[in-house]
Amino acid sequence: MQYTEAPSEAVYEAQARAVPSFRLLRRLARRRLAIIALAVIAVIYLAGILAPWLAPYSFTKPDFENTFAGPSLDHPFGTDRLGRDMLSRVMWSAQTTVIVSAAAMLTGGLALGVTLGLLSGYAGGRLDNLIMRIGDAFYAVPTILLLIIISATLRKSVENFFRDVEDWTGIDGIVSSGAPSYVLVFGALSLFGWVGMARLVRSQVLALRETDYVLAARAAGASTFRILFRHLLPNVSNIIVVAITLSLGAAAGAEVALTWLGIGIQPPHPSFGVMIFDGSGLTNLRTHPNLLLVPSAVLAALMLSFNLLGDVLTDVLSPRRR
Amino acid sequence: MQGLAGYVLRRLLWAPVILLAVSMVTFALGRLAPGDYLDVQAGPRANPETVERIRHELGLDDPVYVQYVRWLGDSLSGDLGQSVIYRGVDVEDVIFPRLWVTVQYNFLVLLLTFAIGIPVGTWAALKRGTLLDPLAIGTFLLFASVPVVVTIPILQWLLAVKFDLLPSGGWDVREFYGIELGILSERVILPVLVLALPSVAGLARYVRAQVLEVMDQDYVRTARAKGLAEFTVVSSYVVRNALLPIITLLGFELAGLLGGSIFLETLLGIPGIGAYAFESIGSRDYDSIMAIVMVGASAFILANLLVDIAYGFIDPRIRLRAQAA
Amino acid sequence: METRRLVLVLTGLAVAVIVVIGVLAAVVAGGGDGGGSSNNPDNGTPTVETSPLPERIEGELRLFGPDPITLDPACASDASSAEYIVEVFSGLVSFDRDLKLIPDIAEKWDLSDDGRVYTFHLRNNVLFHDGSRRVTAGDFKFSMERALNPRTLSTVGEVYLDDIVGAKEFARGETDSVSGIKVVNDNTLEITIDERKEFFLAKLTYPTGYVVDQREVGDATCFEGANWTLKPNGTGPFKLSKWVVGQRMELEANEDYYLDPKPSLAKVTYVLAGGSPLTMYENNEVDLAPVGVNDIERIRDPSESLNKEFVEKESMNVFYIGFNIEEPPFNDPNVRKALAMGLDKETLATVVLKDLVTPAGGILPPGFPGFNEDLQGVPFDKDEARRLLDDAGGPDVLKDVTLLTSGRGASAGPILEAIIAMWEENLGVTIALEQEDFATFLGDLDEGRFQMYDLGWVADYPDPQNFLDIKFQSDSANNETGYSNGEVDGLLEDARTEKNEQTRFRLYQQAEQLIVNDSAWIPLYHSKSNSLIKPYVKNYDLPPFVIPNLRYVTISR
Repeated sequence: MQYTEAPSEAVYEAQARAVPSFRLLRRLARRRLAIIALAVIAVIYLAGILAPWLAPYSFTKPDFENTFAGPSLDHPFGTDRLGRDMLSRVMWSAQTTVIVSAAAMLTGGLALGVTLGLLSGYAGGRLDNLIMRIGDAFYAVPTILLLIIISATLRKSVENFFRDVEDWTGIDGIVSSGAPSYVLVFGALSLFGWVGMARLVRSQVLALRETDYVLAARAAGASTFRILFRHLLPNVSNIIVVAITLSLGAAAGAEVALTWLGIGIQPPHPSFGVMIFDGSGLTNLRTHPNLLLVPSAVLAALMLSFNLLGDVLTDVLSPRRR
Repeated sequence: MQGLAGYVLRRLLWAPVILLAVSMVTFALGRLAPGDYLDVQAGPRANPETVERIRHELGLDDPVYVQYVRWLGDSLSGDLGQSVIYRGVDVEDVIFPRLWVTVQYNFLVLLLTFAIGIPVGTWAALKRGTLLDPLAIGTFLLFASVPVVVTIPILQWLLAVKFDLLPSGGWDVREFYGIELGILSERVILPVLVLALPSVAGLARYVRAQVLEVMDQDYVRTARAKGLAEFTVVSSYVVRNALLPIITLLGFELAGLLGGSIFLETLLGIPGIGAYAFESIGSRDYDSIMAIVMVGASAFILANLLVDIAYGFIDPRIRLRAQAA
Repeated sequence: METRRLVLVLTGLAVAVIVVIGVLAAVVAGGGDGGGSSNNPDNGTPTVETSPLPERIEGELRLFGPDPITLDPACASDASSAEYIVEVFSGLVSFDRDLKLIPDIAEKWDLSDDGRVYTFHLRNNVLFHDGSRRVTAGDFKFSMERALNPRTLSTVGEVYLDDIVGAKEFARGETDSVSGIKVVNDNTLEITIDERKEFFLAKLTYPTGYVVDQREVGDATCFEGANWTLKPNGTGPFKLSKWVVGQRMELEANEDYYLDPKPSLAKVTYVLAGGSPLTMYENNEVDLAPVGVNDIERIRDPSESLNKEFVEKESMNVFYIGFNIEEPPFNDPNVRKALAMGLDKETLATVVLKDLVTPAGGILPPGFPGFNEDLQGVPFDKDEARRLLDDAGGPDVLKDVTLLTSGRGASAGPILEAIIAMWEENLGVTIALEQEDFATFLGDLDEGRFQMYDLGWVADYPDPQNFLDIKFQSDSANNETGYSNGEVDGLLEDARTEKNEQTRFRLYQQAEQLIVNDSAWIPLYHSKSNSLIKPYVKNYDLPPFVIPNLRYVTISR
């Protein structure tokens, strides 16, 4: 029997149909938890995206007459030590979370991780070894420590770079918008985030590599690129979707941790890390615990929802179930 | 076993290369960071010219690669330098006692993780279909999701401030047959709780998923039909198949002590390696930073190696596949 | 997979884990003298143990203390280290609690007519803590030259001792000894300075001029061989009996102390690490606790039982915002003044800091020698501020300006956040905050890589020279702003050599008014010591800056 282009295409189409579309949505709808999780994420993300229009106050506007106020019509979440509205601060912090997590995903997890994973798993041999060893090296370093050091070393350079960009393009306010911090944070997250995704994709590719339809495609003369992106990628897309969901949550958490350490988002820009940092400290906890509880609750809800969604997606997308 | 030995050897040969790379990058980054410990310690009162002269005497203004070679030479001959935060004290005299502290409470966390995680996960799976299952998932997820930075102050507030059940931090040491142990006091409860909750939750989730898979298998139904207790069947399968990820988990836990411990120890006032690492960076205590990073990286590589060996031992297929690659 | 293999692997894993931990334990317990909780007194190695605080003894005071950088008097440049050094070591002269200069190891001294030669007559009953021998003039020559010796690598030697003739040359390595320090005999030390300076004796009260035991110190530098500082042989009112590095410091009274009052406390324990001060105070674990902004309202409430134990006192410091005067936009005094006028210092002090501080009009703090009650500070005036700014070019002038601050952590603190918010409200300008860790911050300050910054300055000795001359004299090494005003320089020069104290202070006050008018700094506030003190602790007058204090304190139950 001769292998022609047609059967491999057909095989591919069959596989592609297995990739969720209608069925996914129907299954998801059956999981009420998933709906709630999605709703929570949507609300928080929307609040973040629409913050410039929806937030009643700015992140920094003080009101010295009204510090440490309890919940009221004007301030549904109360105010903090400088009289700043907690609800607005939460919304602006959500905006930061949206930007950072999305950007980190796009750069590190997605682009870098998937590509390297595909490459590594498919090519095998020395390239695979090299990529995996480099990944090992990244993993071996105590991440947080290196991030702190990197931040101390590179922050100035990144800022200067952006100042130059401002000069070349004539666009103002890039530096003061906090862009250098964002870049540093999601750059850092990407630097260490690609390894996990790459390993995941690679293991999946290893499993798929020797399957019939891939062999068929190769025999039919399909290029490596085509095999990688048209044949293998759709089949690892299940895993990727789940990994993305979980990583978005992880990126949000990581940003909080980095900011808390002082190497993430810099003041006066908003972030849950800033709010939680402000609210911690034993003396604060004793007298004004809501400064901690409000941002913690929102952040916890967000991360819980991401993980819940990830769980449900795993169940749904896993081919062995049902 | 020739295949396994060769596999291990190959991995071992990479280790020094990786360590060297890590040391170079860390050293370069550390030195390139603006400011040095002299700036910190001289303070705002010192004459900048004097500070410059002293900087020169200490060799801090030599080119980075010169300083690196000097550090490499010293370290390989056993001299890890002196701490700057604790003037006059050798780095190893500060780091090892602190490492011991961190290892202690992390060990407890590991113990708890497996001791509680596996049974609880199994139990949750067996309760599928009842109300308890989604409740269990939810709880697991909650604890596993929230970052350490958040759980610490919350638990502090709940347990130490609001209900006054535990001390709010600190670390007590008692002597036990010549070894100093900090885990014999109630102060260890808060840090262990903070780290164990997400850890147990994570493992329990995984175990539950594994068990659920098992329960649908043919051979289980067969065994059940034969009359074997469900629990026996399930647990033997679980243990066998959960072993691989458990080993992976163990490896990463052992090696990843440093990360979470920074927040934990800083917030709770525990004299461990994490807190010291953070201080060292802020004070530009170069010798300490390098020592800590190298210890961390070595531990990680060792742990990874052990994990890989165990994998290869348990599942010959993996070993063969790796060899083929 | 067979069960046998399974068991084998599990056992192997368990063994591996135990071995790793065991090795670490052995390494730790064996090396570094960490084994056993008794600290070998002759061995200068520290332990990292954190035993729960040992049983309290009769006459013991417990309080919080900062972590010192070093206990070597020749090397210490910060207040945290100085706090312990002034109790364990001593020098020629000292301050009493009324901030009067008193004789210490020097029983009396003569000053030549031209005000340049000091002849110190030392007591003959001052022993080193180990009781082995007396302090002689030779010991002082050794100690002072050590601080100036370039080999010692001290960053502060020159700062406090460079008025002595020959000091600068010696510090540059040009000579073998300091010509201005002469040992006349065992009991007599002669010091010659370059010109009459009223504040010279005050500078000698700082640790740099203290005496150390040359047999113990040898040729230790500030960075090498420093482990003698873990068990120093000092001369002060207290001996360092135990230092658990990073955790706890224990001092015990020096029975042979030569001044009156001798220390009456038997023991002083400083808690260096962690813990919540208020909780520990309420549990009677410590006898003194600082009160922070979050607790102050509760403590100030008269119905709160702790209110009676609350003490507050002015400190000799000033917290301020400084400008880089050498570069735009802050080379324009109107821009600086506009920012100064746009700040509501009263609200900062009362609302944000809950009256824990005093708003500052000038540089010198209230109660400080030379403080001018009639000083005209820059007032809070939004409209005038706006007008000044518009005259200078409008809010655009301040575009892209950053305020440099030091700190680690997610937030720069409520004060800076409030200040930035105020400028936004009152002037329509958005100043960006740049937070760096302390090392980078100081480096940037030294190199002039900043536009504005915030910092504090604590007095070393009670003389206006310590504030005004050091920070604002054009050539001063510690003048970060680059402020240069010929008239001010002239006044400072005159004040340096003026004999009459009243006239001196008037000259300094004139200088201060000019400095304030020029808005080289925006003085923000002077902080206070806010403390809870147990009623049985007597005579612990909160020291306004670092002076020996513990020997006056008594415990009466």
